[in-house]
Amino acid sequence: MEYEAIIGLETHIQLNTETKIFCSCKADSWNDPPNTNICPVCTGLPGVLPVLNKAAVEKAVLLAHAMHSEIRPVSYFDRKNYFYPDLPKGYQISQYDQSLAHGGYLDVPMRDGEMRRVSIHKLHIEEDAGKTKNEQGRRLIDFNRCGVPLIEMVTGPDIRSAEEAAQYLIRLRQLLRWLGVSEADMEKGHLRCDANVSIRPKGADYLNPKTEIKNVNSIDAVRQAIETEIKRQIRAVEGGGKVEAWTLSWDEDSGTLSKMRSKETEADYRYFREPDLLPIHMDEAWKSEILAAFPELPLERRTRFMAEYGLPAYDADLLTAERSLSDYFEAAVSAYGGDPKRVSNWLLNDVMRMLNESGKTAGELRLTPQFLAEIIKMVDKGTVNTPTGKGLLEKTEETGKSPREIVEAEGLGQVSDSEAIRQICAQILADNPEQVARYRGGKTGLLGWFMGQVMRATRGKADPNTTRRILQELLDTSA
Amino acid sequence: MSTPIPFLPAHEIARQVRSGELSARQVTEAVLEHIARVDGIPGQLGGDPQAEPDKVHAFITLTAKRALTQAETVDARIAAGEDPGPLAGVPFTVKDIFTVEGTPSTAASRMLANFIAPYTATPVERLENAGAVMLGKVNLDEYTFGSSSESSAFQPSPRNPWNLDRVPGGSSGGSTAAVAAGEGALSLGTDTAGSIRQPAAFCGVVGVKPTYGRVSRYGLIAFGSSLDVPGPVARNVTDAALMLQVMAGADPHDSTAVTLPVPDYLSGLEKGVRGLRIGLSPDYFRITYPDPQDGSLREEALPEAIRTAVLKAAEALAAQGAEIVEDVPMPHTRYGIPAYFVISRVEAASNLHRFDGVKYGYRTSQPVADLREMYRKSRGEGFGVQPKLRILMGMYVSAAQYSEQYYNRALRIRTLIRRDFERVFDPAGAYRLDALLTPTTPTTAFPMQDVYGDSVLMQYADQLTVPANHAGIPGLSLPGGLDAEGLPLGIQLLGPDFSESTLFRIGRAYEKATAEEAWRATTPKIVHG
Ligand SMILES: [Zn+2]
Repeated sequence: MEYEAIIGLETHIQLNTETKIFCSCKADSWNDPPNTNICPVCTGLPGVLPVLNKAAVEKAVLLAHAMHSEIRPVSYFDRKNYFYPDLPKGYQISQYDQSLAHGGYLDVPMRDGEMRRVSIHKLHIEEDAGKTKNEQGRRLIDFNRCGVPLIEMVTGPDIRSAEEAAQYLIRLRQLLRWLGVSEADMEKGHLRCDANVSIRPKGADYLNPKTEIKNVNSIDAVRQAIETEIKRQIRAVEGGGKVEAWTLSWDEDSGTLSKMRSKETEADYRYFREPDLLPIHMDEAWKSEILAAFPELPLERRTRFMAEYGLPAYDADLLTAERSLSDYFEAAVSAYGGDPKRVSNWLLNDVMRMLNESGKTAGELRLTPQFLAEIIKMVDKGTVNTPTGKGLLEKTEETGKSPREIVEAEGLGQVSDSEAIRQICAQILADNPEQVARYRGGKTGLLGWFMGQVMRATRGKADPNTTRRILQELLDTSA
Repeated sequence: MSTPIPFLPAHEIARQVRSGELSARQVTEAVLEHIARVDGIPGQLGGDPQAEPDKVHAFITLTAKRALTQAETVDARIAAGEDPGPLAGVPFTVKDIFTVEGTPSTAASRMLANFIAPYTATPVERLENAGAVMLGKVNLDEYTFGSSSESSAFQPSPRNPWNLDRVPGGSSGGSTAAVAAGEGALSLGTDTAGSIRQPAAFCGVVGVKPTYGRVSRYGLIAFGSSLDVPGPVARNVTDAALMLQVMAGADPHDSTAVTLPVPDYLSGLEKGVRGLRIGLSPDYFRITYPDPQDGSLREEALPEAIRTAVLKAAEALAAQGAEIVEDVPMPHTRYGIPAYFVISRVEAASNLHRFDGVKYGYRTSQPVADLREMYRKSRGEGFGVQPKLRILMGMYVSAAQYSEQYYNRALRIRTLIRRDFERVFDPAGAYRLDALLTPTTPTTAFPMQDVYGDSVLMQYADQLTVPANHAGIPGLSLPGGLDAEGLPLGIQLLGPDFSESTLFRIGRAYEKATAEEAWRATTPKIVHG
């Protein structure tokens, strides 16, 4: 029998606010020692009260808008009550029945070019808990992460394969970074994902019991864990067994799933309205203030790049992978004024390498889009040759000076005067009679060697085409 | 004979300290001496409830050294020509449900007996910044859960200075006993269902429950977060107004503290009541409670003395030019207690979650097999019976399968109670009241150990005060005379949101109208030593 998988993803997105959601402690504690970014509020001391960080709400609104979710004019915080040592208040401040936003979807382009629309069931703001680790029979707690703002976003059961789940996460990650709401680094826990997986005979319209996979810390892990679980479920069903509603944990090292617990009954969190916080009143004025700077989204921009600049899908996809790069591209195209594809080639071939090596974003380069355009123009005009032009990328980045200045200061301008080149070529032939003889004896491959000598003599400034023409002329004419 | 320092009004102390007639140190020393004479041993874990029955026992922690240092700071500021603040040198106590940096902040519970707060509650900080001198932390019902202060884990619990065999009320019983006995001119209390007004009535002092949000709750160890309000306890209306003036206002640490500007409570104080409309409601002259046997609702009229005190107050105010409006219906008053039982316990159970033995406070010293057992034992040993009862009920009524029946229903009742008030205070409505005049409590102070243990009946002592907490409106309890046994009677003024100025003004007019009455010259027993 053929089966199809029914997959829903529950993501926790760490917002990249400066401070935590209910106190003024630094939110990002990556690299900080345990319990260094804490205060009475986020460690739940007696008598403290939460005060909402508006920046968290604003980032959540940006995300909700990007997900086409409906933003409620009034939403509430609720307490989710449970005991755990790294939850210092014994309840998590979350949103329950009247969360900031509801509904919505994300369109995810699949590898075959098809678009899959993944619906969003839930989107709410909440605070993170701390971290517990067991060490030598002791339980150690780090409260640094307590009160870090999170968005919990849950998809509908719309995903049909491990690959689709991976694509959803790739697009979500791209979107989060694009909007500037999260660093979305799965390895650092900025983006966490649990997957609900069930199978059914292809074409069936009912849902079977699902399992929940936790502890998947990379997109590859999500793909592998879901694939493994789908296979396990099929094996179980075909072997006459059935799938039970377990919670599973993914072990990345061994690539296996293990059962954490059975999940027959839902825990009762005794939700009730958080009396210590006022409702969020998202009036039109505030909303439009937040959305005033709402950017063109990656997929829209990708489509426009293809239509407006005539770029192939491949280029458009790469150039819109990251917002800063796509902004850079547009600025360079506009400064250049010529064929956008030529700018794309320079960017994707050479500038991308610089970005990958330095870890910078395009917007952080000293090689500005204007400088890049200047370099391409100089190459187009023959002021410098292509290798010199490529060398200028690094030099501009290192010095921050304009490429034109560098060319002038270092005398890198191309020698295209054929008389000057002819003189140099003649001199080199005169200095190397043996090589000339070998060439003329049939070793025509030595042309490259002669080219190299001319380039060395001119410090790379000789126009390669002219040089090649003159060398061939001189060598092929027997003296 | 001039008034001894411990019984000087706060505004008089501040005036004399500011003008140099008295030093803050002199005041502090005099009051500390007085405390040494009347208070006896402070409440302590495992203490004997019957120890020194001739003393007040208001305190859990007396911070004499800290007080003297603060007093010296005030004196130094005056010597340097700086403004020492409107409460310069005024000695005050703090209900031990507020955190004060560097002092034990116990909530009168074994759970927090060893908890030294690393930060100071906003209202305390504002009082200290205004020059007031904190004498220490006073006793209360454990976590404020009670109406007699007897459920404190720190024994002996406070006694009523008017009659030491009676309770001072609660949960701010340490505050009201201290103020009545001259152990500080002011005290900072909290009111969740009447916890300031009821003990104020029992102890013959002034107690204010401000509008919800008027005073920051930052540093108040929460009971029912949507009901709790910090408020003043004082011996007269002017002092209460002065104290609230200093405490009130927005706080960046509490988003439920409103940003509305704080009016000048003192400037209008002497304006009198001419033209004000003051209502009397029959629903505040009886209590309704379920029969302990069959659960049927029973109604009981209030004792005659209490009735008479309120009616006499109405007459006195009418004589000053107030318009008395009778028969004002407040039909949902009777549901205040049941709704409060549900709402406060849901919030309390959740608020008590943080006391788990993990981070601070009590942790069991017994061996434990796992985390759950550590929780169970720490909480089982650390909490007294009142917190446990509240946790049990709170967990029950907020469980998914019951919350619609109980919690959500209670919230709807709360809205109805609020509407009762909105209707009678509506300036365009049929009643157009400026305030309601009611008794504060259905009884005077009850004997020690009388009602404690029957927590349902004890809660009905709050029936006339709890509606203001549901509605969020301000309430003021004033001494209204003494009954035949010489116990204080309390009268209560309730007004619309942020009408504290009006309530103070009416209260002050009542004080002046009754200034010459014999009971005003009577002082608590303890004072005579
Ligand atoms: Zn913090």
